This record gives sequence, C-alpha cells and structure tokens, in this order.
Amino acid sequence: MRTEQDALTTTSNRLHPKQGEVIDRSTTIRFTFDGVEYTAHPGDTVASALTAAGVKVLSRSFKYHRPRGLLCCSGHCPNCLVQIGDEPNVRACTRPVEPGMEVRAQNVWPSLNRDLLSLTQLGSRFMPVGFYYKTFIRPQKLWPLYEHTLRHAAGLGEVDIDTPLGEFDKQYLHTDVVIVGGGPAGISAALSAAETGAQVLLFEENPALGGHLRFTVPLESSSTTKASKDLPELLEAVDRQPNITVFTDTSVLGWYQDNWLCAVKGARLFKIRTKSVVVATGAYETPLIFDNNDLPGVMLGSAVQRLVHLFGVLPGGQVVIVTANEDGWDVAADLQSLGVNVAAIVDEREPSACASPYREGLTNAGVPVFYRHTILEALGSNEVRGAKIARLDGQGEISLATAQSLQCDLIVTSMGWTPATELAYMAGGKSEYHEDRAEILPVSTPPGIYVVGRAAGTHAVNSQISEAQRAGSNAAAFVGFGEFDESTAYSSGVLEPRRTSERVCVPGKKKQFVCYCEDVTDEDVETAIAEGYDSIELLKRYSTISMGPCQGAMCSMNTIHLCARANDWTVQETGTTTARPPTTPVTLGALAGQNMEPVQTTPIHQWHLDHGADMMVAGLWLRPNHYGDPAAEATSVRERVGLIDVSPLGKLQLTGPGVPELLERIYTNQWDNLRVGRVRYGVMCNDEGVVLNDGVCAHVNDETWYMTTTSTGATTIFEWLQWWLQSGWGEGIHLTDLTDTYSAFNLAGPQSRTVLEKLTERNLANKAFPYMRLRSAKIAGVSCRLLRIGFTGELSYEVHCPSGYALHVWEALMDAGREFDIAPFGVEAQRILRLEKAHIIVGQDTDAMSDPLSANMAWAVKLDKPDFLGKPSLMRISAEGPKQLLVGFKMVEPNVVPDEGLQIVESEADGQLKIVGWITSSRFSPTLEEAIGLCWLPPDIASQNGASFTIRMDGHLAEARVHHGAFYDPDGERLRM
Amino acid sequence: MLLLTCPNCGDRNVSEFRFGGELSSRPKDPSALSDAEWANYLYMRNNVMDAQTEWWHHNVGCGLWFLAERHTRTNEVIKTYPYVKRET
Ligand code: FES
Ligand code: FES
Ligand SMILES: [Zn+2]
Repeated sequence: MRTEQDALTTTSNRLHPKQGEVIDRSTTIRFTFDGVEYTAHPGDTVASALTAAGVKVLSRSFKYHRPRGLLCCSGHCPNCLVQIGDEPNVRACTRPVEPGMEVRAQNVWPSLNRDLLSLTQLGSRFMPVGFYYKTFIRPQKLWPLYEHTLRHAAGLGEVDIDTPLGEFDKQYLHTDVVIVGGGPAGISAALSAAETGAQVLLFEENPALGGHLRFTVPLESSSTTKASKDLPELLEAVDRQPNITVFTDTSVLGWYQDNWLCAVKGARLFKIRTKSVVVATGAYETPLIFDNNDLPGVMLGSAVQRLVHLFGVLPGGQVVIVTANEDGWDVAADLQSLGVNVAAIVDEREPSACASPYREGLTNAGVPVFYRHTILEALGSNEVRGAKIARLDGQGEISLATAQSLQCDLIVTSMGWTPATELAYMAGGKSEYHEDRAEILPVSTPPGIYVVGRAAGTHAVNSQISEAQRAGSNAAAFVGFGEFDESTAYSSGVLEPRRTSERVCVPGKKKQFVCYCEDVTDEDVETAIAEGYDSIELLKRYSTISMGPCQGAMCSMNTIHLCARANDWTVQETGTTTARPPTTPVTLGALAGQNMEPVQTTPIHQWHLDHGADMMVAGLWLRPNHYGDPAAEATSVRERVGLIDVSPLGKLQLTGPGVPELLERIYTNQWDNLRVGRVRYGVMCNDEGVVLNDGVCAHVNDETWYMTTTSTGATTIFEWLQWWLQSGWGEGIHLTDLTDTYSAFNLAGPQSRTVLEKLTERNLANKAFPYMRLRSAKIAGVSCRLLRIGFTGELSYEVHCPSGYALHVWEALMDAGREFDIAPFGVEAQRILRLEKAHIIVGQDTDAMSDPLSANMAWAVKLDKPDFLGKPSLMRISAEGPKQLLVGFKMVEPNVVPDEGLQIVESEADGQLKIVGWITSSRFSPTLEEAIGLCWLPPDIASQNGASFTIRMDGHLAEARVHHGAFYDPDGERLRM
Repeated sequence: MLLLTCPNCGDRNVSEFRFGGELSSRPKDPSALSDAEWANYLYMRNNVMDAQTEWWHHNVGCGLWFLAERHTRTNEVIKTYPYVKRET
C-alpha cells in the first residue's frame, strides 16, 4: 500500500476545476489497482483516476503482452480492459470508480509492469497471423500442450466459476421512433420527431446526453462554439418534451428484422420494437499506424479532450500532436490554453490546406509547427518519451534524411474519422467510399431508417442539427405523424471539407499495430494477403482482425485501406466487412437474463411437497416422482389402494355431430360405434404411420366426447387436432382444451371402489359401472367425471374434477382411504405398475420411427376401415412385415436390471458383436420379485415366447428371455373385478 | 421477419407462432396413390427461393392455423390470411 503522502502526490495531473466537468471534487474515494491504493472523485472513471495519478500502463495486449494505455477513452478499444472484482474485461475508461473497488490488470504474468511473457517474445513465435488455423493443427496429439500454452499466453480476463448468479433482467419497449446516439444530431432528431406527437426513445451510451459537445473546445472562434452554448438549451428542451424517454449509459447492440433493436444498460437488456430508427451514433476517431503506435502515451485527440474536459485530467505535460485536419489544431489550442507545453504540431498537409482558426494564435505563441511532416515512431519502452518525425517529399514519401526526434510524454493523433454506421448497415443501408473525404459514408437506407450527424459524415454542428431535424420529422412522418420533408438525404456531410487522411500507415521497421484487440500488425496483414487471403472478408477471418472486443471500431477502416493498397484495388472495390451484432461487448449474463425455468404445477402441488414428495420435471410439469419408497407405493396399489395425481394429462373436449367421423380419421381403430357412456383406448399416427400419441376417449353424451392424451403430448396433440380441424375436417366440430380446467387423479387398487363409495351416492357396483365406462358423479359434493380405466392393471377410477375443487376432492379421497391404509403414489410407482402389465409409454418405448403394428399395438389398428391418418403407410408396412418388434422380457438372473437404452447383441462368425435391438424400459418388479422390461428385437426372436437373447451390460453380457403378454395378471381379471 | 401478423390478433412476435411448412394438402384418395406418389406427398417439398405460401400456427395466441406468403430469401412477409377451404 502506498502511504497517504504518496496518494496525495499522485493527484498532480489534475487541472483546476472547470465548467462541464463531471467529477465532484468535494469528496475523495479510494480504490486499488493491482493492490496499490489510489484516490478518485465521484464521477471519475477508473481510467481517469489512474491517469490523474500518473498511471499510464493499464493492460497487456492479447498475444504479445505489450504494455497498453488509454487510446480512445470512449469504450471503443481494448486498451483499458481490466478485471474488477470477479468481473473480467471491464473498460476502465467508462466504468465509474466506486469506493473500495479492487481493480486488477488482466493477462499479465507475473505483473503488469514486468510481464515475462512479453520479454520472451513468446507471443511472436507462437502466434503468427492465422495461428488459429495453421500452427497447431499438426501433430494433433500435441494440441493439449499447445492449448495450454495458448491459454496462458493469449487471453483476456479470468472467469471465476464460483461467482454467484448475478441479477440480470430484460425489458420490452415499444415506440414509434428510436434515436440511437444522444449528441447534437440525436437530440435534434428526437426533438423534431417528438414535436409531431410521436413517441421517441433516445439511447446514449455515455452517462449524459451531449455527444462531442460535452468535451470539445468552448473557445470563441471554434466552429462548435454556438452549439456548445446551445447544449443546455437542447437538454432543457429534451427535459420538457414528454414524448421523449432518454436512456443513458445504454448501448444499442444490434438491429434485427422488422426494426427490432437490442440494447443493454448494465445488467438490463432491452428488446425494443420501433417503427423507425434514426442512427446518430457519431464516429470513431481513426488511429494512425506507425512504429510502436501502441505505446502507452499515444492517444486519440478526442480521448485527450474527454479526459481534460470531463475529468479535469491531463494525460501528459509535453505533447506532440500529429494531425491531418482541423480537429488536431483544436486539441492543440485546447491544451495550450490549459498551460500544456505543446512541443509540436505535426501536420501532414501543406500550410495552405490548414484552415484552423487557431493557426495564427498557436504560431504566434511559438508552438513549433511541422507542415508536410508525419510521425515515424513513438519512442520509449514502457511509455512515450519522445516522437520521431520526418518530412514528406513531393510524392508524399517519407524522406528519412529529415528524421528528427522530439521530446514528449504524450503523442496525440487526429487523423480522421470512421463513421459508426454499423446499425445502419445491419438494417440494410448501403455505403460508398468518398475519395475526397476518405470516408465510407451511407448513400441509402431502407424506408424508415435514417443516418445523421458524424455517422453520415456531417461534422459541422449547424449542419448536424438541421440534417437531424429533417430526419427526425421524416422518421415521425414514416410512422404517420406530420409531413415528410423531401429534401435530399445524405448530402450535407459529403459537401464538407475533408477531415480524414488516406495515409493510415507510415511504413517502418518496428511493430505497428493495425488491430489492437487481436494484436495484428501491418506485417501480418501483408503476410495474410500474400498467403492468398486477399478479400476483406477472408483477411478478417484469417487474421481475426476486427474480431476483437471493439468489433473493428479502431481497425476496420485502416484494414480496408491496407487491403486495398496491397491488392492495388480502390477502397470501393475492396468493400467492407458485414456488420453484425453486437456493436459493443455485452456480458453473457445480460443476454441470458433472469435465471428462470417456467414450470407448471397442479392444484395439489403444495400437498405433494408437504407430504415429502420428491418432485421431477415432466415436460413443463412438476410431478411427484415418489414419496420416499416407490416400490412400497406400487405394492400399496396391488394390495390395497393408492392415489396418483395425473392432472398433467391432456384433456380435450370435442362437441358436435362431426366428431365420430373425425375420430375415425385421427385414431387407428374404430370409433363410430362407441356408445354413450363408453370409453375406448386409441392410438394416433401421423401419415408416415408413426405413433404420435395414445390415450382414451369417452363418449359423454349425444354430441360430446372427452379425450385424454399423454401429459407430454398434450400441447402437440391439441395443435395437431387444430390443424386438421382448421384445414378441412372441422365441419360440425368444436374443440376445447380442458387440460388446466380439469384436474385428474387415479384411485387404483382392489379397495378403490370401497373408498370411492364413501364419497358418492352413485352406484359403483361392477354391473352398474363396469370396466371402460364413463360416469358423472358427485364426489365429496363436487361434480366429477369418472373413467373406469386401468393403466396400473388394478381396479381403478380416474376422477376428473374442476381444478378449483381439486385439492378438496384429493383430500377427501385420502381421508376416505385412510382406514384402508391408502398411499399416494408417484410417477415411478406408476411406471413399475404399468410395466408389470407391459403397457407401453409413447415416447419411452416408441420413437419417431415406431409404427403401431411393430410396437405391439396391432390390436388397436383397423386396416380395413376407410382412410385414416397413417393408413396408407401402415398398409405398406403391414405388407412388407415389421423389421423390429416391441416385446417384453425377463432376465435370466432375476436380480439384474439392465439400464434403459442398453444394446441387445448377437455374436457374429468373426466374434464381433452385432447390435440387433435395444432396451426401452426396465424395472425390478416388486410384485414378481424379478427384473422385467420392454425391448425392440428382430421379429424372428421377438415372435418366440421364451427365446433367449443377449444384452450388452457395462463390461459384460447378460441373458434375457422374450416374454409375451402382461407379466402380471395376463388375462386382465383384476381390472374387471 | 421477427413480427408476423396473425389474421385474428395482428402483429405479434414470431416466437408466438409455430411454422407449419409449405402449403400442401393431403391427397383426396390416398389409397389410389402409387408408392412414389405417396412418398412424394410425405417427403418432397418444393423448397423454393422465392415467395412461398406456408402454414403458420398462432400456438400461444388464438390457435389459428393460417397462411403466410413469405419470401424465403429476404424473409419478407408479403401477406398473411386465413385459410379458406376450397370447394371441390
Ligand atoms: S481507452 Fe478505454 S476503451 Fe479505449
Ligand atoms: S482494434 Fe479492436 S478489433 Fe481491431
Ligand atoms: Zn392469433
């Protein structure tokens, strides 16, 4: 830890208080960076506080571990990525300092200032361009070693897998007009759109509206002076306008079809539906490529202005400004007025081309100006100590003989702008390279999409505002508010003087970085192109250039120039890479949102929990798997009585005269003879003859039928029936989904009749209410439907009651059963019971290839009735004969239960095992006290009762024998008791 | 196309719908079809790169199966409308 004294001396880079700054100097807060304590003021970012303390190196680069410092100061480069607590890859220049924050450098070993991985130049040798593709492919067996080395050497922050789940959420927004970017253009567009009555959402990635007006020169003769004074007025107008909602600190990540936008603010993701969009996202200042251009202390002009005007921090005391436009002169004047020693202005233009209003003042003040000069190299090892500059000759070539070194601790480059037009291109906008501007500017956008301000190449604030006002009212008019303004789009920017240099790279001998994120040098670009990856898209994929955290904000324009030059193409011919979301990095947490898994519960859910149920997820439902001992639950059903909650069953009501014909068409068996009060089991197939679902259907009264489906198939079958009804088979039929309206319980076991009789007046005698019948009855005072069916193989009643009374009925049944020692049973006991009866479960014992003829359901298929779904395919299957059959089996070793899914094998002549079948269900039967199951086998084995076959177990083989029919009560007498 | 217009409910998120494949209808008399014709109905699709008419189901909405004319390359939905059974 540093002492108090040290901490005080570290504030020496702070300027005197000035208007517009965002820090609160009355308070001081403390935080640490790599264990050393620093101070900050509320409003400071991590980077501004560290810069105030004189810290220049913030990170190490991805591959080569080179020291990196602030470059853009706007969240659009990789140079300030740090780890804060357990959060990796935080941009220090945009994250506000909080008291006690623990900030650490990333990707360093052993420490930020002495990183051995950079000294060994390991990166250079291990990671040439295209290293993802070539170096590590062969020999394959060494990959784990390479991977280990790479993981150590290349990378960013660390993910702490013990981090507790964060709180993230999502919000849906609906509006008429979205404005992306809250600079002068965005604000003006928002105001004129809102005036028409349209609802406007205005998104700004910075903490406040104002864009570049927040930090550009507020001097008398500046072009921005007027607007800068107007900023408070603009902000006030926004405040007063009820139709505008402002979102600051919010990045719009992408545009998707039908004007669906995605934005993120901290831990909240917005999904935005809008009718039109105005893109006012500004421009990125473009870095210059020269020797050691990544040295800490080389910064963009706009970055320096942000530090100075927002945070009152001076990143250096002696500055060399390298420029090709008036923006560089603005920075020079700005710094000089603050007492910074401007060591030189290095302008690549002729003196005649310079139109800066500050020219005279700066020259008179004795600031050395080098026209027709550029920078060759940043001097210094860990941070800038000087700049080597040289003259350009008549052809624009560097004349090395004129090279000279200047002393400085800050190199500022202001070489031009890359319009931030990603969103416009995602939305289908088209662009063109304007030679005279050296910028790629939008030329057209789809209806309802507008680009304004620097994003459209318009830098002059007055033009930005008028252009944006027009776009704002057009965006509103597009939605139906007000009139269209027909003036030409995308022209004012083009008419402006050039601000961007084509000289993106000054050739040299040392490392020069094109892409800071991915550590790609100009040499790498040349190599890649020489290796044949010449098109811009190939170059990107091969070198990973522009694929880093900044998504090409710092490097894509320079790459296009280099690619054009190396191929001898024009920039227009070279083209651009496809813009894709996200425009800025987003955490996976924000994308994932809340940790929510929706489930459905039955009205008995709390009762199940209160009685010790072990719940399982079945489809969307939570169901009791068992209440402690599934085998004992099964035995209760066999010997006494049990009750299971089967409310998740699909329950559909069909009414109307057309129903019998529909049932004939959708089930494989016969239905038109089902009399009122009867229940029948049925199988549904699709036209391929594959089993879709099974269940029962009851004829309730004249024109009403009540159908149940499997729990997991309920939704699918409802959709399936809707489809056939709505596409031609629906005449005279009404279909209602009662799945949630009714709850259902199965009261099963030899005592079930006695239990039920206690709760109803209805005569339940076998004669009056036989097997496979439906009756209406009041149970414990509630009107219910009773279905006498038996999946479990015992006398049983399925009680369907209105869900609102479900708990009452359930508890009444449990009470009535108490004297018979009734037991609630879960899904597992039911699975045992049904397996003892060899009843199949669709989806467990059948799959997407299973037809009913092979799946032991031939008895439920009536091929001689008229056309039904699946019939033509089943006719063909029947003629060819089945390839596999589903049958029961018992194990020779009665205690060995083979896992479901195991293979059934046969030895071949050469001793190899051939797979001939598989197990679909298996359990130890508590009733028979042996292992039983269902499996698919070739017909020749399956058709012989008692035929033996071999199961491949874990490490050994086990014998089993085919079993025909039910394992328990094969004649079904207990069902009919 | 992240929005789809249900003829009953209007513009809705496409996630509310289920795609039902290109418009085809079950043959009138399947028993009269050859193996090849039956297989053609079951498995063959036109898969055009053009405007196609297709089924959509508003499955978390009103439950309507309706038709959409959608361009398979641009994903532009030209129109949506309820299915009306043709008289034969
Ligand atoms: S300096 Fe922070 S992102 Fe560029
Ligand atoms: S500099 Fe960020 S992707 Fe190239
Ligand atoms: Zn609908």
